[in-house]
Amino acid sequence: MPEPMGFYTDTTVCIGCKACEVACKEWNQLPATDGGRHEMSGDSYDNTRRLDGIHWRHVKFVEQFSQDRENGRWLMMSDVCKHCVRAPCLEVCPTGAIIRTEFDTVVIQSDACNGCRMCISACPFGVIDLNPVSDTAQKCTLCYDRLQAGLEPACSKACPTDSIRFGTIRELKTMAEARVRQLHELGESRARLYGADDKFLGGLNSFYLLVDEPEVYGLPRSPKMPTRNLIPASLFSVAGAVVLAMLGAVGLRKQRMDEHAVGRGEDDV
Amino acid sequence: MSDTFFTASPHWGWWIVLYFFVGGIAGTAFLLASLLQLFGRPADRPLARMGHYTAFIGAAVSGLLLTVDLGRPLRFWHMMIESNTGRPMFKSWVPMSVGVWGLLLFALFAFLAALAALSEDRPDVRALQSGPVRALRRPGALAVIAVLGSIFGLFLAGYTGVLLAVTNRPVWADSTLLGLLFLLSSASTGAATLILLAVWRRAGHPSSMHWLGWFDRWVLVLELLVLIAFLVTLGSVARVFLSWWGVLLVLGVIGAGIVVPLLLERGGRLRSVQHLVRSASLVLLGGFLLRVVVLLSSEQIHVLGTGVTGP
Amino acid sequence: MADSDCIVFQGSNMAECHPVAFRWPMKAKVEHGAKLIHVDPRFTRTSAMCDIHAPIRAGSDIAFLGGLINYVINDERWNSDPFFREYLVHYTNAATIIRTDFKGTEELDGVFSGLKAYPGGAPEWPYDGFLGTYQTDSWQYARHGEELGQPRGGEENASPARRGQQVPVRPGEPLIDVIRSLRRPVPLRDESLRHPRCVFQLLKKHFSRYTPDMVEQVTGCPAATFAQVAKTILENSGRDRTTSFAYAVAWTQHTNGPQVIGCCALLQLLLGNMGRPGGGIMALRGHASIQGSTDVPTLYHSIHGYMPAPSGLKGHESLRAYLATEGVATSYWANMPKFLVSYLKSMYGDAATPANDYGYDWHPKISGDHSHMPMFVAMADGRVKGMLCIGQNPATSLNAGLERQGMRQLDWLVVKDNFLIETATFWKRAPEIESGQVKPADIKTEVFFFPSAQVAEIEGSFTNTQRMLQWHFKAAEAPDQCRSDPWFTHQLALRLKRLYADSPLPRDEGFKKLTWDFDPDPGQKISPPGEPDLHKVLREINGYVTGDPGRHLTDFGELKDDGSTTCASWIYCGVYPAPDQNLAARREPDPAGVPGAQLNWGWAWPANRRVMYNRASADLDGRPWSERKKWIWWDGKQWTGYDTPDFSATKAPSAPGDPRGIGLDAFSGRQPFIMIADGTGWLYTTSGLLDGPFPTHYEPAESPVRNALYRQQSSPVLKYWKHHGNPLASVGDPRFPCVITTYRLTEHYLSGAMSRWNPWLAELMPELFIELSPELAAERGIRNTDWVKVTSPRATIRARALVTRRMRPFRLGGTVVHQVGMPWHWGWEGVAVGDVVNTLTALVGDPNVSIHEGKAFVCNVEKA
Ligand SMILES: Nc1nc2c(c(=O)[nH]1)N[C@H]1C(S)=C(S)[C@@H](COP(=O)(O)OP(=O)(O)OC[C@H]3O[C@@H](n4cnc5c(=O)[nH]c(N)nc54)[C@H](O)[C@@H]3O)O[C@H]1N2
Ligand SMILES: Nc1nc2c(c(=O)[nH]1)N[C@H]1C(S)=C(S)[C@@H](COP(=O)(O)OP(=O)(O)OC[C@H]3O[C@@H](n4cnc5c(=O)[nH]c(N)nc54)[C@H](O)[C@@H]3O)O[C@H]1N2
Ligand code: SF4
Ligand code: SF4
Ligand code: SF4
Ligand code: SF4
Ligand code: SF4
Ligand SMILES: [Mo]
Repeated sequence: MPEPMGFYTDTTVCIGCKACEVACKEWNQLPATDGGRHEMSGDSYDNTRRLDGIHWRHVKFVEQFSQDRENGRWLMMSDVCKHCVRAPCLEVCPTGAIIRTEFDTVVIQSDACNGCRMCISACPFGVIDLNPVSDTAQKCTLCYDRLQAGLEPACSKACPTDSIRFGTIRELKTMAEARVRQLHELGESRARLYGADDKFLGGLNSFYLLVDEPEVYGLPRSPKMPTRNLIPASLFSVAGAVVLAMLGAVGLRKQRMDEHAVGRGEDDV
Repeated sequence: MSDTFFTASPHWGWWIVLYFFVGGIAGTAFLLASLLQLFGRPADRPLARMGHYTAFIGAAVSGLLLTVDLGRPLRFWHMMIESNTGRPMFKSWVPMSVGVWGLLLFALFAFLAALAALSEDRPDVRALQSGPVRALRRPGALAVIAVLGSIFGLFLAGYTGVLLAVTNRPVWADSTLLGLLFLLSSASTGAATLILLAVWRRAGHPSSMHWLGWFDRWVLVLELLVLIAFLVTLGSVARVFLSWWGVLLVLGVIGAGIVVPLLLERGGRLRSVQHLVRSASLVLLGGFLLRVVVLLSSEQIHVLGTGVTGP
Repeated sequence: MADSDCIVFQGSNMAECHPVAFRWPMKAKVEHGAKLIHVDPRFTRTSAMCDIHAPIRAGSDIAFLGGLINYVINDERWNSDPFFREYLVHYTNAATIIRTDFKGTEELDGVFSGLKAYPGGAPEWPYDGFLGTYQTDSWQYARHGEELGQPRGGEENASPARRGQQVPVRPGEPLIDVIRSLRRPVPLRDESLRHPRCVFQLLKKHFSRYTPDMVEQVTGCPAATFAQVAKTILENSGRDRTTSFAYAVAWTQHTNGPQVIGCCALLQLLLGNMGRPGGGIMALRGHASIQGSTDVPTLYHSIHGYMPAPSGLKGHESLRAYLATEGVATSYWANMPKFLVSYLKSMYGDAATPANDYGYDWHPKISGDHSHMPMFVAMADGRVKGMLCIGQNPATSLNAGLERQGMRQLDWLVVKDNFLIETATFWKRAPEIESGQVKPADIKTEVFFFPSAQVAEIEGSFTNTQRMLQWHFKAAEAPDQCRSDPWFTHQLALRLKRLYADSPLPRDEGFKKLTWDFDPDPGQKISPPGEPDLHKVLREINGYVTGDPGRHLTDFGELKDDGSTTCASWIYCGVYPAPDQNLAARREPDPAGVPGAQLNWGWAWPANRRVMYNRASADLDGRPWSERKKWIWWDGKQWTGYDTPDFSATKAPSAPGDPRGIGLDAFSGRQPFIMIADGTGWLYTTSGLLDGPFPTHYEPAESPVRNALYRQQSSPVLKYWKHHGNPLASVGDPRFPCVITTYRLTEHYLSGAMSRWNPWLAELMPELFIELSPELAAERGIRNTDWVKVTSPRATIRARALVTRRMRPFRLGGTVVHQVGMPWHWGWEGVAVGDVVNTLTALVGDPNVSIHEGKAFVCNVEKA
């Protein structure tokens, strides 16, 4: 059983070149939006906009400029499945199509998936969507096929600045913590890791170095397991069910009484 | 901003809205029918039978709706048998997994109940008078079917809301009351359906009709309270309803679907069949709209780029 | 760059255009916290990675760099730190004294002495485009024994026609004697740098106007930001720290492009950042092997190894006249006879003999400016019959409307490309056809499309930005009819030679005598049939002993001027030292952690040196300037270090220069710049540049504002091709108030053929857009993603608006000037299609290399 593997993405050296996005599409032979002929989004340099069934990597662009341009930043981040240690998608998949691999990554078996889309609504990061070709849910496999062949994932291999680093979670964490320390020394106090510890979802096997609040990058502050609602929601419902049954029964009984009292109930129907 | 805003929509559209609606009616119709069967008088039996027919048809339709909504409908069975191991597939903590089995079992009881009802209705059909079928009509058997069926019926009426709550989607996962809300609304729509059918088939004995009306009123009151509680528990997410969805919710669901019917039946004294029909139809409409609003308002919200778009 | 302590990206958008190479700046940033600075009109993906973004108006780089120079020479630390002094006095020409008759821009309000009207070139080729031209005598050094101020002709590296006659050549005279005859008395120097006419004092005067306020007024860069940049660069230059600059075509694509680069070189010399690790000026080249295409040139005006192409306009009548005109007695260039003769031997083989000047007379001579732009103007005038268009897409190139008009005048056009590009369909799908202005029926041009193979479908070598040759191997067979460029060229040559085989015309002699044996040896299989053996080509370029192709030359030191060596390109000599040793194919990285220059990875010219003029990485006595910046040093017997020394291997630092000697003998052990006539880095350029010895800020040919520094608005010697299809806006024309620049996106490649056809890339940048500031957008009522009309004096096109604060209006003195920018990758063919941005651009060029000014012109933007 190999060690848990994953990604550490240092957004401070991401140049938004999208090589990762394209490398992923090439390796996984994913189609382009409308065959590539679609409209410019106007959302900075982002024209693919989100992760979905045909975009397993997506580079985000955040323009932060004051009116007077006194201070300005252009944040870039290559988004992907977080391969959560406790994965909501996996947890709720009713067909068992989503599995955890020997690399501690999360993979959807397309041949088992029946497209119920439970996982889509469960993923806290909006990673999954149906693939229009297979009509099944799809997402980053962390290049399970390449890993099994001892190769590095296509996206991290293509990354020219090593913004995406692939390796054992252990090594990646030490690397990431060192970088955060360096940034703090250089005065970038906002630098922080996202998903490196187990504060949520038991930790993310694809974690990030950010220099602003998670929301700024379109990431939830504290993603949760969907099943958190299971017990309370069920209890309320059960209670409701009991009440309904009683109400019905009581209603009938009461009616009997009334009728005894009044004799025949009025009959103008 | 609620963490639920960063998720993607599963594109659960009209098929699912309909499924939630029909399933709810089927489930509660079975309950009401069974109550009449267990505690009612002989005069209530026609209505009870009609309820069981409704339940069975509803269950069947539900199964269909659920299947056609799948990306790969032919793989429906993957939810019951693990496709690559052949082992039975059941996750007690996943509403959809439990729901599929629940629906299946409910359909079974609904079928039995409907069969029993049918053999009572059609003495002329010999096949329906065969031994096994008649066995179903023994009071003991009927009781068992009624009780178990009602349990699964109530499950079917409520789990859909729990299913939505056990996601990370805006509105759905931001409150734990959705199951209860759907359950109550199922009950009111179930009762309303029976009322309409009864009027249509002239099957309802006045007293049973009266009971249905009475039941419906109480449920509507509860539903209204829970709906308000639901909106409160949504907290900041409720701003989603500062939109046309909100208008639909207030006018359609609360106004037309709850308040007006209550007013129409003010004082519980049904003035005329028309009233009865009118209010029942409104309740149905309201129940349907409730599902439309809850489902589609959330469906509209996606993460795009880094911002959040939608209502 | 990984060794730099500070990297300034100016005139380049490295992160977007050289993403893979950008890993090195990122390494410097992450590993030793190097400071990164981006000077660019826009806030780009490169700016996003930098500590400082300094916004400047397109076309104002010299004002900015001039400001830095002014700041540096007035800086207190710079004036007190002995390092700067030592480097300045000994490694640059700061101390050299200039002739009395030289007058600078201060005296002449923006021009230099010697400006005169262009006399005109060859009558049969009136396309040189010059407005004016400089007589450069007065720019020269004052020399011992030469009475100051008196024109004597004879100059440093360069080449006005008069020189040929100045030094009369005797037929049969040994070629080296021609060189020796060019020996000049040593220039006068004043190492105290106080002499009023020493380069340093002239420089001080020249740049005295470039004050921070002036910088802000001309460039629009806030004074505070400018100061921050200047401070950072200075802090990271000196004995122990080095700063490097990286530029690309945002410095070149101006009517004074080379002057911008010269200005940076001047600054880097002042800061002692040349010839040292982590220093220098990185020219980030473009197309994968564009470096190679200038080394083994596809350029009209030079032959292999940066020797000027023989010309009918200069004193090039004979081999000796050529040497007398182009040669220099001092510096390594004194070996030019060896380079040239070996080159001619490779051209004409056995036919090249001392008796016939090695076939020099057969060599084609140029008759003026035959570069891209004049060529198409000539075409539009119907002076060009046919064109082979190989790996270019002119239908989308500068002033594309005019270039397409030119192509319509051709009798025939061959397009050899991987895709059916705009140039191949200009006759049926161009805008002017769609609009009905031109009917295909009226176009006489016969267009042939020749499907091309890709580089991955043949083996061969690339020469990258670092002058490094890397051999690549064949990855796949080309599909059916597609053939490689070598195949095409080889087959064309063979067929033409057959065609001319028995032509009696003297002008065809050259073609008949041309050696051309690149066919694979019998038995050797290269598919598809007809491909040449590219190893033979590289061997020919590397050179061998004449008559014995098996004996390869190992470096250019072995070259002879008596025909006994054959070598196509002297600078590549040594890449193939033995028939079985292709050094370009080496792939051995240095062991990790050990400092080194990766000398076993590929092969870099010259002589596998990675840092040029690296003698400057050691002090006068040959000791490294500092432990941290160690590169090469004198170990008592010879020069050693991490890199190949770019110096006479055993010449001691203390060795004096021989005033009578030629070549490197003329230099002492303290003159690092061995390719330069006086062995020093030039702060002041006596020759080689046609537009002035000091860089001077001129406005672009089209500008909304007057030149705030001088009366002279734009370069007095820029090139403009007058043509009704090529109008220019006058200064401050109210119809074109915005400054526009054009550039690239990571997602697309040039005219787009190699990217817009690919759905994966097309979806990333689907539509043509114009980037503009919210301020301008508000003025024009334009909203994000609206369609807008962009109009220049040449044309109007449509694009989407991308409204972003990454763009900003510039406050120049009183007035506000809006800067807009457009990526220029679109055309009407392919998956992602859009208007051709180059229909907006003009045919104006720089006097030295005739590069266009696609980086700064004027336009108007309106809601469509
Ligand atoms: N992805 C991609 N990479 C490429 C290419 C490509 O088409 N696509 N092309 C290749 C080729 S052939 C080349 S030549 C190189 C070119 O490489 P670059 O020169 O880096 O590319 P450009 O985008 O043309 O211009 C760079 C920057 O110059 C800025 N700029 C414009 N005018 C001025 C000015 O007057 N002064 C200054 N300081 N900056 C200015 C622009 O805003 C732009 O950000 O790229 C090569 N690499
Ligand atoms: N306004 C404006 N104009 C510019 C610039 C700018 O910055 N602004 N940049 C200028 C610069 S720096 C450059 S380099 C030029 C580039 O301008 P072009 O060279 O005209 O444009 P490319 O798209 O590079 O054209 C190369 C063609 O070669 C084809 N090709 C690719 N591989 C091969 C091959 O192996 N063999 C053959 N035969 N063909 C092949 C491609 O399909 C493509 O059609 O544009 C210049 N024009
Ligand atoms: S990020 Fe979403 S898709 Fe990926 S593992 Fe976690 S829950 Fe599943
Ligand atoms: S869509 Fe497929 S992967 Fe997702 S939950 Fe349903 S079955 Fe599982
Ligand atoms: S790991 Fe593989 S599948 Fe996942 S994003 Fe990278 S390339 Fe795509
Ligand atoms: S390849 Fe690397 S640098 Fe480029 S966008 Fe992806 S993560 Fe960023
Ligand atoms: S496109 Fe090719 S040349 Fe350009 S950066 Fe990428 S790898 Fe290098
Ligand atoms: Mo280029």
